[in-house]
Amino acid sequence: MNLQFASLLIALPLISAFFVPVIKTISRKAVMPFLVIITAVQTGIAAWVFEEVYTGGKPIIIMAGGFKPPVGINLYIGHFAALFVLIIAVAGFFMAVFSMKSIGVEPKDKYAMLFLLLMLGATGMISTGDIFNLFVFMEITAISAYALTAYNKTGEASEGAMKYIVLGGIGSSFFLVGIALIYGSLGTLNMAQIAQLAGNINPTVAQAALALLVFGLAVEAELFPLNAWAPDAYQAAPHPVTAMFSAFVVKAGLYAMVRIIYLLRDTQAFTGILRLVLILGTITVVIGELSALRQTNVKRMFAYSSIAQVGFMAVGFSLGTQAGASAGVFHMVNHAIVKALMFLAVGYVALELGGTSIEDFKGLGKKMPLTAFAITVGAISIIGIPMFNVFWSKIQLILAALKVGKTGVIALILGASLVEAVYYIRLIHTMWFESANGEKVKENFTLGVIMLLLVALIIVIGVFPNAAWNIAQKAAADLYNVSQYIKNVPLLPGVSP
Amino acid sequence: MVMKRALAILTILLIGYWIALALSHVPFGADKMLVGQYYLNHVKAQTGAVNAVTAVVVNYRGFDTLGEVTVLFIASTGVAALLWRKKRKRTAKTEGSVVLTTGSRLLFPFIVLFGGYIFIHGHLTPGGGFPGGATIATAFLMLYLAFSVYEIPHKGFEITEGLAGMGYVTVGLIGLAIGSYFLFDWIWQSWGWGHSNIGRLFSAGFIPVIYTIIGIKVGTELSGIVDSMVKEGGE
Amino acid sequence: MSIGVYYFGAVSLILIGLYAVLVKKNLLKILVGLSIMETGVNLLLISIGYIAGRSAPILSEGVGPNNAVDPIPQALVLTAIVIGVATTALALTVAINLYETYKTLNIEELRRLRG
Repeated sequence: MNLQFASLLIALPLISAFFVPVIKTISRKAVMPFLVIITAVQTGIAAWVFEEVYTGGKPIIIMAGGFKPPVGINLYIGHFAALFVLIIAVAGFFMAVFSMKSIGVEPKDKYAMLFLLLMLGATGMISTGDIFNLFVFMEITAISAYALTAYNKTGEASEGAMKYIVLGGIGSSFFLVGIALIYGSLGTLNMAQIAQLAGNINPTVAQAALALLVFGLAVEAELFPLNAWAPDAYQAAPHPVTAMFSAFVVKAGLYAMVRIIYLLRDTQAFTGILRLVLILGTITVVIGELSALRQTNVKRMFAYSSIAQVGFMAVGFSLGTQAGASAGVFHMVNHAIVKALMFLAVGYVALELGGTSIEDFKGLGKKMPLTAFAITVGAISIIGIPMFNVFWSKIQLILAALKVGKTGVIALILGASLVEAVYYIRLIHTMWFESANGEKVKENFTLGVIMLLLVALIIVIGVFPNAAWNIAQKAAADLYNVSQYIKNVPLLPGVSP
Repeated sequence: MVMKRALAILTILLIGYWIALALSHVPFGADKMLVGQYYLNHVKAQTGAVNAVTAVVVNYRGFDTLGEVTVLFIASTGVAALLWRKKRKRTAKTEGSVVLTTGSRLLFPFIVLFGGYIFIHGHLTPGGGFPGGATIATAFLMLYLAFSVYEIPHKGFEITEGLAGMGYVTVGLIGLAIGSYFLFDWIWQSWGWGHSNIGRLFSAGFIPVIYTIIGIKVGTELSGIVDSMVKEGGE
Repeated sequence: MSIGVYYFGAVSLILIGLYAVLVKKNLLKILVGLSIMETGVNLLLISIGYIAGRSAPILSEGVGPNNAVDPIPQALVLTAIVIGVATTALALTVAINLYETYKTLNIEELRRLRG
């Protein structure tokens, strides 16, 4: 089969989103089932691409318009992109199912369109091979995220969205200045060619460009100090959207940042920028965990916890070694599974019991045992208890830090895990050991199945981590090994200085 | 307050100095082209367009443009979603004067025509689908300003917008089917239409087709945004 | 260190916009600041593509491949402008919703009302 058909990953959500207005005029009720079907098909395509890339061992290069890079824009679906495109599609599918139940606010047809375009943006960000195209997909993701954040039309939602828009606007302007500097130095926008020619950039220009690009992406990657929007937006957004933010939107931003930093490895600014990311990541972890400790709203607490975990990933990538990158990718995968589960469960609780404050979670073990069980497994996993998936990625992070002798990072991880243990065990205690009046809720069967699937995934990876670890290592190699990346992209000969 | 302002100015000056320092190594007005020169050398043969910018936008960097169309679509969808109320209607109280209403009626078809001219000739002259579509939207904005009760036909506009978007992706998918690449210019490269016509209207492969689609889409989208913003919600 | 007047203008616009975003209290002024920043960035991109003494990249009537400016930044700016428009439209919509809820656009008031 023609591998160019992988471009359906972009084409399908797009054409489906454009089709929604037509569907709406036929039947308003058909919109949400349509969303579920499309995300299911997308999952199928993503699974096919994943299979092709991991069995073939070669990345799929999609050339738009048939022009070879750097003349045309190419998509680079390597081991990393194949893995994350699959995660995006699966998470999107689960959340589409959840949306059928949880979205009550009109207009649902617009919600479905924005949902698909958010998925499309993240898919594009992860698979593109062109730095300006990355900007375009980043904006697609960001603008649909703005709209979805404000979707509930409450004061909190509008305020969260406004913070996001202002920070995102500053970020995208800086990102474009960074692109302008790189383009002005090299005359190309293709990422492989930029990596190839990176040594030619003037050191001052490289430093400014890298810092601006990192600064611009830090909004999406939720790194301190540009993550002020995240807790508000996470709390106010519709529940499935929050889960998607945490499961893949933030990862797409972080991936883009790491990809660009590694591509410019040949510049002198490389070690400096890694140190900067290490510092920002550390502050993100510390602030995230300490803020989570103070929250009385469970959804907001999970939001801060999610931010802190992203900090861990950034720290892993900033170690600048293959082991660090592998640990970072592994943590990304594990965190995506766990947070999709936890935000799904919290959203479901809010739906049934009317809120997400800690009061609503009293006696949840009796009222909604399955949901409480899911949250418990997720919490235990995030803390880093052995036999659960996050344990292994935390161990790998520690090992990677040990190899480069960064004991501060090890202390950070252990300390943060301790703080996590405090607030998550408090939550578990509230759910299982505090009694509250209220009837037992009949839990939804489909959502129960999804939660149990995710719980099973957490435990399977926890008990047999090797398969997942191998996949993560391959994905990280794709990210870390830049010379291989350059070789994989069939650059047109003759278009070089 | 003064402290905060001073701090802001200081930060900004630092950032500015630093960007300027970097820019001083990117000489202004010098020939820095690499891929750009390739485009200039091959644009006529590969795409049939005289306007190199258009060829870059539609052909070489087609993915960007598809994304750009999507961004605008998100904006119009988002605006409509966020301003959604049960009953929304126009609240303008004074009708436009005779000069205004008659003038707008007279001008309306010509503005639309001009918008159409801009996007159909995108491969020959500066312009293209986005400016053309924006011009068309101005025509509708003018009607909103002149008449206190005017509204665009919402359903029709929404469906046109969706169908135009689908049309763009479909053109791309036909490229995937015929030329085995997404967004492949099948009219120019597979069918070879218009090779003798470079510099005239019927040339440049699918550029005029795509720009027409984009023009219609942008026109309906921006009109939709105007409509959403002009009307006020009555609870 | 010397930079061209266009670079200077572009960077100045970016900084003016950033100043408005950082210091202004009115939400609309902040959004105007963002738009000014975007304009500055667009001007910067276009200036980077300029080559002294060459004309627009429309290859007819005596303009050949060797006397046209770089077409790529112009294409990029086209995209960037549209994205800027989209962001601004959405931001204004959110501002409308904020105003309808809190009856103010002053960010300090907003913060106070939220508590």
